[in-house]
Amino acid sequence: MNIIKKILSRLFMYFIMLFTITISIFPILWVIMSSFKTNGEIMSGPFVLPAEVNFNAYVYLFQKYDFLTFTINSLLVSFIPTLLSVLFFSMGAYVIAKYDFPGKNLFFGLFVVTLLVPAHSRTQPIFSLITNLNLYNTKTGLALVYLSGGLAMSMFILKNTFQSIPNELNDAAYLDGASFIRTFFTINLPLAKNGMITSGVLMFLANWNEFYYANLLISSSANRTLPVVTILFNSMFSYNYTNTFAALTVVVLPGIIFYGLAQRQVQESLASTSVKG
Amino acid sequence: MRGQTASELPGRALGKFKSIKNHRKITLFWIYVFLIPSLAIFLLFYLMPILTVLITSFTEWDGFNTPKFIGLDNYIKLFKSSVFLESLRNLLGWSIIAATVHVGYGVLVAFILFRKPFGWKITQTVFMIPNVISVAAWAMIYKYFFRNDIGILNTFLRIFNPNIQINWFFEAPYAFWAITLTWVFYAVVVTLIVMGDMMAIPQSVHEAAIVDGANSWQMTWRIHLPLCRNAIGTGVIASVTARIAMYESIFLTTNGAGNTMNIPVILVRSVMDSNYGYANTNAVIMLIVGILSLWIVNKAFRMNERIY
Repeated sequence: MNIIKKILSRLFMYFIMLFTITISIFPILWVIMSSFKTNGEIMSGPFVLPAEVNFNAYVYLFQKYDFLTFTINSLLVSFIPTLLSVLFFSMGAYVIAKYDFPGKNLFFGLFVVTLLVPAHSRTQPIFSLITNLNLYNTKTGLALVYLSGGLAMSMFILKNTFQSIPNELNDAAYLDGASFIRTFFTINLPLAKNGMITSGVLMFLANWNEFYYANLLISSSANRTLPVVTILFNSMFSYNYTNTFAALTVVVLPGIIFYGLAQRQVQESLASTSVKG
Repeated sequence: MRGQTASELPGRALGKFKSIKNHRKITLFWIYVFLIPSLAIFLLFYLMPILTVLITSFTEWDGFNTPKFIGLDNYIKLFKSSVFLESLRNLLGWSIIAATVHVGYGVLVAFILFRKPFGWKITQTVFMIPNVISVAAWAMIYKYFFRNDIGILNTFLRIFNPNIQINWFFEAPYAFWAITLTWVFYAVVVTLIVMGDMMAIPQSVHEAAIVDGANSWQMTWRIHLPLCRNAIGTGVIASVTARIAMYESIFLTTNGAGNTMNIPVILVRSVMDSNYGYANTNAVIMLIVGILSLWIVNKAFRMNERIY
């Protein structure tokens, strides 16, 4: 009786694990495989394997459409705001973690409470702000919006990081006559590397995958980012499924590669979402 | 000795005091300089937008002319609109599914992976992939996955019933479930935070339970689940909040057809129609629903009480 129970619970466990793996990668593998099939093969059924593997669809995409531009745009509006945000939020989190000053708790509270604001409820004011700054349909405008993305999470992560650095280091720096700026940049910042990477990864991934504001604030093809390209598939490829699936692969693959390279950091970033509540 | 110090001390101490005071002033100056970028971002992208949203939700405003105060008219119009009521119904349905099936699945996977069975690491790694790619791309993948002609799901279902012809993203009862399927099992964040909480359970708790003769079923229900309630509550809040803001997976698949409207879809349409006041009324409802769900979950999971 006990053995049967044990076998059943084992079976259930492995069934759930197998199911999890299947739903997580099977759709993506199907897309990648389909990008190597001809249109006819795709139409004749999803389980048919491609007769021959070639990269024609990919070559076509990069030659005929500006996929290189889209990729570069995506990199620019993801990377630059992330870099600036990490620096800005580190500066803020550092003084909150290390010093006492009037308004300290108020500022921290305000920064963190932004987590409760549903992402899209600020749409109209932000849309108008960017339009009024004459930044509609510019990468700068989009990057500016992305600057604000990780405020609450980063403050939380970075404040904890700076708090874990011993205060004695700052005392010693003060006795040695190091300036405020130097104490921050040469002593604290290098030691806060892990927290900065965690929040940086979080913001980079969010920006890289962002669709909502990219769709709202960008109107010309020259400034388009990769996630937004998906919306144009039907009109772009007029039911050429091979190209559609190849384009989807190009949109999806960089994120997966990035995850493969920085697995631990990405996991930590995702898990740090738990500071909510 | 005593006299000497007494005559020297005031001058020295004053000098030191002066330099400390000066230093304190400089430090305070830099503290606020360091806060400026974060504060600017907060003011520009959070405080001002939220105030704008709250105030203009009571006005008629096209973005060019000055907003005209119209009291509760927008709210009345909203609650009379069938599209909005449909959105509320959907949101309630999706939130319940998120809090039960979605979070439940995440917890189940966490409990399984916590026992470190063969292959747990690869499962965890792979489970993360849907969360690192764009929601928009994921929605598109599912759009093709569910296609009646070339999609996998119907081809698979036709093995059992060759006559199946379902246009998942077009027809009323199916579209809601098709959208649900694009996110309901992808609960890796819940899994990660629950596993984090489980690893934090002190070994002594396990030992005590084993000494008391608890079987693994009792361990799960009486020890692990209650001790992980903060993580589970957090997971519920995060997933319900995500339902309130769910836009891409609707916009790119059904665009609201087949009874699948959600508040952000109405909001964006209103912004595009230069109906800013009405758009912001929707935003206020999103804010209220968000705070309400946070409050309910906090109470239900007693998240403010300490566990250990």
